[in-house]
Amino acid sequence: MSGGPFVRAVGVVCHAGSGIAALRRALADPDWKPEPGLARPDAPPLPVAVCRDFTTRDVLPPLLARRLDRPARLLAVAAREALLQLGDPLPWDPERVGVAAATWNAGTSALVEVLRAVFLACPEEAPPAQFPSTVANAPASQLGILAKLGGPNVTFAEKQAGGARAVIEAARLLDRGRADAVIAAGVDEGDWLNAEGYLRLGALARANRPGMLLAEGAAVLVLAREPGPAPLARVAGCGSASSPAPPHRYPDQPTALLAASHQALARAGLTPDAIDVVICQANGSPALAALELTAWGCLFGDHRPAVLAPAERLGEGAVSPALRALVATLALAGQVSIAWPPPPELGAAGFPPMVARPQHALVTAVAGGGATEALVLSRA
Amino acid sequence: MREAWITGIGLVSALGPDRETTWSRLVAGASGIRPITLFDTTGYRTAIAAQVDDTTVRLPSLPGTVTRHASRATRFALAAAAEALADARLSEDEGSVRAWPLVVGGGAAGLFEAEGFVERRLTRGPHVRGLSELIEVPQDSPTDRVGQALGLTGPRITVTTACSSSTIAVGLAAEMVREGEADIALTGGTDALCRLTFAGFNSLHALDAQPAKPFDRRRKGLSLGEGAAILVVEEANHARRRGAEPYARVRGYGVTNDAFHMTQPEPSGAAWERTLRAALADAGVAAEEIDHVNAHGTATEQNDTAECAAYRRVFGARLAAVPVVSVKGAIGHCLCGAGGMEAAVAALTIARSVLPPTVGFVEPDPDCPVDPVAGAARPASLRLVLSSSFAFGGNSAALVLGSCA
Repeated sequence: MSGGPFVRAVGVVCHAGSGIAALRRALADPDWKPEPGLARPDAPPLPVAVCRDFTTRDVLPPLLARRLDRPARLLAVAAREALLQLGDPLPWDPERVGVAAATWNAGTSALVEVLRAVFLACPEEAPPAQFPSTVANAPASQLGILAKLGGPNVTFAEKQAGGARAVIEAARLLDRGRADAVIAAGVDEGDWLNAEGYLRLGALARANRPGMLLAEGAAVLVLAREPGPAPLARVAGCGSASSPAPPHRYPDQPTALLAASHQALARAGLTPDAIDVVICQANGSPALAALELTAWGCLFGDHRPAVLAPAERLGEGAVSPALRALVATLALAGQVSIAWPPPPELGAAGFPPMVARPQHALVTAVAGGGATEALVLSRA
Repeated sequence: MREAWITGIGLVSALGPDRETTWSRLVAGASGIRPITLFDTTGYRTAIAAQVDDTTVRLPSLPGTVTRHASRATRFALAAAAEALADARLSEDEGSVRAWPLVVGGGAAGLFEAEGFVERRLTRGPHVRGLSELIEVPQDSPTDRVGQALGLTGPRITVTTACSSSTIAVGLAAEMVREGEADIALTGGTDALCRLTFAGFNSLHALDAQPAKPFDRRRKGLSLGEGAAILVVEEANHARRRGAEPYARVRGYGVTNDAFHMTQPEPSGAAWERTLRAALADAGVAAEEIDHVNAHGTATEQNDTAECAAYRRVFGARLAAVPVVSVKGAIGHCLCGAGGMEAAVAALTIARSVLPPTVGFVEPDPDCPVDPVAGAARPASLRLVLSSSFAFGGNSAALVLGSCA
């Protein structure tokens, strides 16, 4: 991926609110705290950082919004914010604009509605309008339909590393000339069945034990081969590796995390000491914390780049690596000030908070099962 | 110029638990569509599907940490992967650090198993037991299990674009080999029947009560299926050095979006024409060079008509001379696994110079003016083959496969 594509625009809907401005305000506030809680019909709320005040009002026509399920609406609103920055019409032939998306759980709410009909009524009661939303590619497809984008439209599943995979594959589509611009995105919905599953697997935070806070939202980066008049950042290098592990567990060793990081740095033509900030995963899982601490110690030696971990407060999901890449983009562009400290274990190891505008950022993601991705983003 | 060769194929389908059984029965015109025994079909419009006989699926010897909670979709993929590696004669120490990309199309994953929990949870409340059935719910779980079983350390990618998932996966894996990211990649797809997809297609009135009849005037819908294909895609010189026998070469692929409707294909065929032309351009071949099409051919009224319209646009008057085969009358529509299974069949078609018949086709449809290889298999010397897939949301993809001669 020589040269790497440019990040031309970004958009977001997350627990901090809808839009880049809301995210900026949260990141600049050291006291900003999440207020998680996903209601269940018959049990206490679950630890999910939902987009509580999310609305499509003023963004999508009501009749149109009603046809979309929640993840499709989240992605449509985030993408709308990004695309508006690029002008109307877009500076590319729509048939040459693609979508590379990732999701961990899009479609689960629709799935529950179809199965509710099957199990509690009869198969004939299954709602035909819900079924197309059960497929994971529905949000990206709906975005393609809404924006009339005829380029490649591909969705990836890689659990909590998915958003990074979307960025990598968007870069590949551009590098291979399959599109002139690609909307790279992560999207997840807050849904009780998925969250309850991970609660049962012991992966989520509870009052008496650490764990993940799941995320809801959508994060969008519009990548293009050409810089345009005001590029925000550049995807300088990507790396990808894996470690054999069961689908619900992190690997024991940071081998893949190190391999992916080294690949991304090599492809960016950089050494580890050039990295100014690591937007790391640190999602509350003790196993992941140990993995990252070991990896960064090995990778950076005595060098101590700044560290930021948005998932601690904004939650974890396929959306999260895309959100981390988005935060890196804003930092590289000098468009955000960060007041959040690094995770305690990394802070104790000497990794400082981010205070200055970085030149190069490393964004990483490890999925349960061992798929691992790394991105190096640089100033445009 | 690096070439991506298919040097190993593993295949699990309703026709059989391995490549040779599936191929021989496919060529013989057999159908794997039969009454479903996996779950109760009372209340559905149909009671048939191309269900894999679980008792015949041969899992390799694996530790319990891999197989204990493995879903049916994972078991299909594990069996296909083991067969593909053995077929490619990739020994244990070949690439002792197996940094091979693993690129798989996946969809339902462990949903069939999880549906038992969902039913209990919905009917009996939050205190019901349930844990192990939930482990393989994520769509990438079968990919993870194959990676875990084979000790793979390379990029691990799961494409989930409904029915085009594993076509894209094969195209992407071959691209990684062609572009020098790897000398060997494993790719394909897997999917398993579940009540969600059965109820969903049932609600859309997309299922035929009888076995699917692609391109036939009497067609009334699809028959769902399940199974897996895993292909070893290998750089040509690497394969030559090992003395590997290739089936076919992946020349290129195309992926586009019709941006039209979530479930309806763009009827003029213009959108799918773009997909096919993108694949041809990536492969560097002209439409006039294509000898055969392994079609999406779901046997729904709208799909087959729009698909044939796209072929008319691409091939013009020559379409009548290009055999267009759908295997979905034999192995059903295997959704996220379909494209990989069809790529495997297309590679076998090239390597063995035999066109399988479109099982279920009897009466021609004027709206589908194609030669579907009716009735019986046909010998054919094939240099270039298109394998196409079209999906919910308009996410379309096509592969160009060629002979290695």
